[in-house]
Amino acid sequence: MIADWSHEIVLAATILSWFIIGAGLAQTTIYLLQLIFAGYALSKRPPVARSALLWHRYGDVAPPIALLVPAYNEALNVVESVHSMLALEYPNFEVVVINDGSKDDTLQRLIEAFKLTKFHRPYEEALAHMPIRGLYSSPMTERLFVVDKENGGKADAQNAGINVCRAPLFCVIDGDSILEPDALMRAAQPFIDDPERTIAVGGTIRIANGSKIEAGRVREIHLPRRLLPLFQVVEYLRAFLMARLAWSSINTLMLVSGAFGMFRRAEVVAVGGFTKGSMGEDLDLVIKLHRHMRDTRRKYRIQFIPEPVCWTEAPETLSVLARQRSRWQRGALECFFRYRAMLFNPRYGRVGFLGFGHILIVDVLGPVAEVLGYILIPAFWLLGILSAEYLLAFTALIFTYGVCVSVCSLILEEAELQRFPRARDLAVLTAAAVIENFGYRQLNNFWRVKGWWQYLRGNQGWGEMTRTGLGGVKK
Amino acid sequence: MWMIWDLSLLLSALSLLIMLFLIARRVLQERSDNAAADQRRQLLTALIAFTENRDREALKAVVLGVPASVAIHAGFEFISLLRGEERNEVLVAFHECGLPALVGRLLERGNVAERIHAAEMLAALGSEDATASLLAALDHDRSRDVRIAAAIALCDLGSLPLLGTALDKIGVAGQRSRRLIDLFRRFPRSRFNELAVHASRADAVPFVRAAAIDALARTGGFGFADFFAGLARNDSPEVAAAALRALGLTGHGAAPAILAVAMTNADWDVRTAAADAAGRLGLSELAAPLSMLMDDEFWTVRYAAANALRSLGNPGERLLREMAGSEVSRSQRTASLVLAEGPAA
Repeated sequence: MIADWSHEIVLAATILSWFIIGAGLAQTTIYLLQLIFAGYALSKRPPVARSALLWHRYGDVAPPIALLVPAYNEALNVVESVHSMLALEYPNFEVVVINDGSKDDTLQRLIEAFKLTKFHRPYEEALAHMPIRGLYSSPMTERLFVVDKENGGKADAQNAGINVCRAPLFCVIDGDSILEPDALMRAAQPFIDDPERTIAVGGTIRIANGSKIEAGRVREIHLPRRLLPLFQVVEYLRAFLMARLAWSSINTLMLVSGAFGMFRRAEVVAVGGFTKGSMGEDLDLVIKLHRHMRDTRRKYRIQFIPEPVCWTEAPETLSVLARQRSRWQRGALECFFRYRAMLFNPRYGRVGFLGFGHILIVDVLGPVAEVLGYILIPAFWLLGILSAEYLLAFTALIFTYGVCVSVCSLILEEAELQRFPRARDLAVLTAAAVIENFGYRQLNNFWRVKGWWQYLRGNQGWGEMTRTGLGGVKK
Repeated sequence: MWMIWDLSLLLSALSLLIMLFLIARRVLQERSDNAAADQRRQLLTALIAFTENRDREALKAVVLGVPASVAIHAGFEFISLLRGEERNEVLVAFHECGLPALVGRLLERGNVAERIHAAEMLAALGSEDATASLLAALDHDRSRDVRIAAAIALCDLGSLPLLGTALDKIGVAGQRSRRLIDLFRRFPRSRFNELAVHASRADAVPFVRAAAIDALARTGGFGFADFFAGLARNDSPEVAAAALRALGLTGHGAAPAILAVAMTNADWDVRTAAADAAGRLGLSELAAPLSMLMDDEFWTVRYAAANALRSLGNPGERLLREMAGSEVSRSQRTASLVLAEGPAA
């Protein structure tokens, strides 16, 4: 009887271990394939070094763009951010700042800095959102509009901006982010090269912590001085240069970051805009766009291009980072389960199989399997239930392949883009790419499992995002 | 299981080795970048000096003394700032140093970004061999972006093959790029007929036909008014809308009748273009059909119609005020919004 029972324990432990190792293996295979696709995509489309050339080439045919900037309690940085956005190098654009019922004096700061006056502008109420209290224009520049509305969250503010803007393309950006001067011109390139099929384009988000920032511009690029944002630099490299570029090359890109993404207005209006109250409103929108275009059987492209850069501030404390990662996890789960009918549905082709398959393996199963593995695989080995082979395989999948994938992302960056200015930066990042697999990765997975738990309990709060401010002031 | 472990060690070690090699390469590159920056400064100083003293031999000595890549890129940047005689004299010096041949080689062997830039540089340098190199690129370059860049460069040099041939070489996939609009806008007046012929080809890509019509409207002027009038009833909404926009610029005796018909078209883009054109031409006889469009299901059409009525002057404004004061409806709301547009009282 006891022997039967122990046999069943061993069988259960072996099955569980196979599940954990299988999930890790699937995840690693996906990453390695992404590296190959991303490398191929980068070699096929090398970047244009000088932005002056882009202006010379595309300046006359660049389509109008509306830059939508939702702002909630951004009084500290909003004026400087708007100044820097108005100075972007693009022939035809307007900046639409949406004050989402800020409790501080965000609106007042804007009114004073740009001498804003109330303005009537007819617009189509194509998307639902909280009531608009007033529109403002500036006598100092025709390019600036401010929408003052009642608080409804980021997605609601973006929807109001989409309604008010008139350009065929709009670009969403966070109020506290900084766009490189040529970012719009670079991001607009796919809309110029293939205007009929391109419906959304995402660019790279880079971490500004540690860099020298003056007058809303990144003047000198430096690596963060603290370890936590430094690890995030490597993470962002993996996420953008490897994952998004790879999926984009096979038109299966599932996420255009809400911190910097360009969209064709007509298609976004057709899918109902951003989903209000969503934890991952950017992922949600891109999935809706895929679904809409596939349902209507139209040819389309949702692209990621690495050259346009938006700088953002990364969390520097564990508590803030933990909240951010748990929220991202809830966003991924929410979208996965909301659109689960698309998973492995032949109607949605590679989006259903590869895109949703990726979310299933990496976001839904991945963190749970990995955290279970941290606990169970060493325990099973110590109890003599599993052989050392299993332990080594799991260690390989978590640590050594992790190092390989992170370092390979850095190789892609250095071989094709060379955006880190000094050789010393590369050495530091290589060390970070190795070290982050021992502790930081595990911590991240615990936060993601926490996100799973919060999702199951129906916790929909965003949590407070304490930022130091790119200018260095606490807010 | 062992294979997972062994392979992971091998791949990690390999990736770290490659990264170490890249770091070493970067250290060396940093040194050569400093040298290249110095050489670039030296060349730009020599070019500035040349515009003052016209000492061609001194300039040639400096051009030949710096690496080809520095000479090509700094040289191109500099000549794009010059015009007239000064530019021509710098170009002569560049030609004598063999820069166009170097750029031609870049057009053959560079990566896609370099090949596109090489095509642009060849158009600026304008040597005898440039045309042959560009024609070869248009003929058989693998990238459609390079082929489009070559076509634009050839157009600037006055050596673009017949439009149909050039578009065939660019390929169908490339015939959706807005860069073609740039190409068409560069067409010399003497070749406008080619644009017109292509715009009327029923088998051509509608996007290209519309781009050709837009280019003709911008640069061809009234001579093509009849042509635009003929295309305004085209079956392709994209072509019809472009023709209506063109009619809005040139005008035509039959414009009121054509626009009135277009305002009932099934496609909202065509109705918008018709309303815009009516407003631009100030055709007050179209006030009635424009009023009908104020109830259109598409906001863009309603807004275009309201703006057109506004641009008709007093009669149009009066109609808008009447609508704004009527019972609540789509047209009433649009009229009141458009009348209120502007700074708040």
